[in-house]
Amino acid sequence: MSTTKDFIIEQLKSEISGYKAEISEKSVGKVLKVSDGIALVSGLAEAMMSEILMFKTEKGEVAGVALNLEESQVGVIILGDYTAIKEGDEVHATKRILEVPVGEAMIGRVVNPLGEPMDGKGKIETSKFYPIEKIAPGVITRASVKEPVQTGIKAIDAMIPIGRGQRELIIGDRQLGKTAIAIDTIINQKGQNMKCIYVAIGQKESKVAGIVAKLTEAGAMDYTTIVLAGASTSASLLYIAPYAGCAMAEYFCDKGEDVLVVYDDLSKHAVSYREISLLLRRPPGREAYPGDVFYLHSRLLERACKLNKDFGGGSITALPIIETQAGDLSAYIPTNVISITDGQIFLEPDLFYKGNRPAVNAGLSVSRVGSSAQIKAMKKVAGKMRLEAAQYRELAAFAQFGSDLDSETKKKLDRGQRLYEIFKQDQYQPLPVAKQVIAYYALINGFMDNVPVDKVREFEAGLYKYADLNDVAIKGINEKKEIDAEIEEQVKKLIEDYKATVDYLVK
Amino acid sequence: MKISVSQYAKSLYESVAGKSEKDTKSALKNFVALLGRNRELNKVEEIINIFNELWNKEHGELSAELTSARELKPATRQIAINYLKERTGAEKIILTENIDKKIIGGFVLRYDSKVVDGSLKTSLDDLKNKISN
Repeated sequence: MSTTKDFIIEQLKSEISGYKAEISEKSVGKVLKVSDGIALVSGLAEAMMSEILMFKTEKGEVAGVALNLEESQVGVIILGDYTAIKEGDEVHATKRILEVPVGEAMIGRVVNPLGEPMDGKGKIETSKFYPIEKIAPGVITRASVKEPVQTGIKAIDAMIPIGRGQRELIIGDRQLGKTAIAIDTIINQKGQNMKCIYVAIGQKESKVAGIVAKLTEAGAMDYTTIVLAGASTSASLLYIAPYAGCAMAEYFCDKGEDVLVVYDDLSKHAVSYREISLLLRRPPGREAYPGDVFYLHSRLLERACKLNKDFGGGSITALPIIETQAGDLSAYIPTNVISITDGQIFLEPDLFYKGNRPAVNAGLSVSRVGSSAQIKAMKKVAGKMRLEAAQYRELAAFAQFGSDLDSETKKKLDRGQRLYEIFKQDQYQPLPVAKQVIAYYALINGFMDNVPVDKVREFEAGLYKYADLNDVAIKGINEKKEIDAEIEEQVKKLIEDYKATVDYLVK
Repeated sequence: MKISVSQYAKSLYESVAGKSEKDTKSALKNFVALLGRNRELNKVEEIINIFNELWNKEHGELSAELTSARELKPATRQIAINYLKERTGAEKIILTENIDKKIIGGFVLRYDSKVVDGSLKTSLDDLKNKISN
């Protein structure tokens, strides 16, 4: 039936007769002052902390959030267009804490920190809302971190394993591949039963568009939400972005699912919070950050958790990113976030420009959860990898003086060179854990000792292809998750068979 | 230390409350002298506002503003006064009435930082929002 005039009129009439004017008492205030995304409002004696306040302006309503409650006035950050607000405008309280829509419908979408779509794919149908600020789960509800998050990056999965529910910081100067690690990790979560949320805070929108395109191409948008607060977004939206992302993650965590959240990056988040705080006239402290900048990040990262069985067994893994200036780890924000997280992945310019990418520094990077977040097979082959990698770098610096080396040292150097070759990995090419295990097995058991250093990557690539063709070993590792005598035999045979096909081995 | 406007108002109230006319006069004289000494005579407007609120609160008085499109009947006015008495527990209501054609019909009642908006204009705006969304 097409809509007729009568039908429309009928509908309109029923709408109007169904409408009942509601008169209720409202708290109102008046704008005293507006400046740079901040408003001071008088009245509103009953305003709550982080309550949504609506400004009545000539161009419609604009939302704000109460952040400073003082004796006779309220400091408000404005989430919309603050230029529309004038002095003397009316403000009314909504009695609602700031919240974002959550649910399955958010998956595959690009949204702003308020949960509104930014990707032009239409309205997001959700019925549930979560408050953006929530107290982190307590001791009783938590369990220890045991299951691994497979990042698909060889250097990280072997040396700095990340567990589900862990908070692992990615830290380094600009342009060293911090985001690349996070994106590769998201791509590698395909089929790993993991939801991903990527929160872009103050990133260039062109960069985010590139990331969305890459994730779509890799099929990763099927389980990923992107929360976008671009570089041109106001400080107030940048400030709430990570909390909004975390709230969306908590929905899945409460359902007993595993979630990975990437906060890219928290240094820009701290800067936007500094801007808000200074405009609200809170006293500045070190580097002009306000006194509660530690709490700003600790309350966010503490919400990453692994819940125990009684509470659904869900988890939120957090990968915060911090950008340092000229490798300065002792600046205020980096030290803060290092102390909050359960370990860090430190990226180093020297390694990067030498061609060791991802440029993970094995000495300074740690994971405080350690090998309990690795499958048994990986534990067996990667046990001393971190130590060996660090020792090699020390020895290599020493050996540059060119004096005669004893055979023991030489052996260590040779092994180390090949190890660093294996750590090299191209972007957007995460590697399944079984293949990593095979490569490391070949290395530590001396199968690669007669492969020339410059051929190691070629050998490795060939080995993976060969393993795909004869997939008994890979299947075995994936099923049992450990290397028993039977699988060890299969892996050995696989490597030896493959070695027989290559012609560049050193005699 | 700087003395805030509300502190001035409070001390003024305390120094004049329950005093005779003569005492009040001398207290006021001193107060103005104090303001002059502190160079804060320009704040007298704000101080009076807060003093007003304070006085009303202590004496169970409440000032409110009632806006309507037409002149109200005494009975209607009484409904508003009774409502305010019940809500706030005030004993005496000082009601200022305004006529504003822009609200079309109904009334808008303001007191403290509260507003009860029963105007036809707001209802129509709400209806408009509801239909367009």
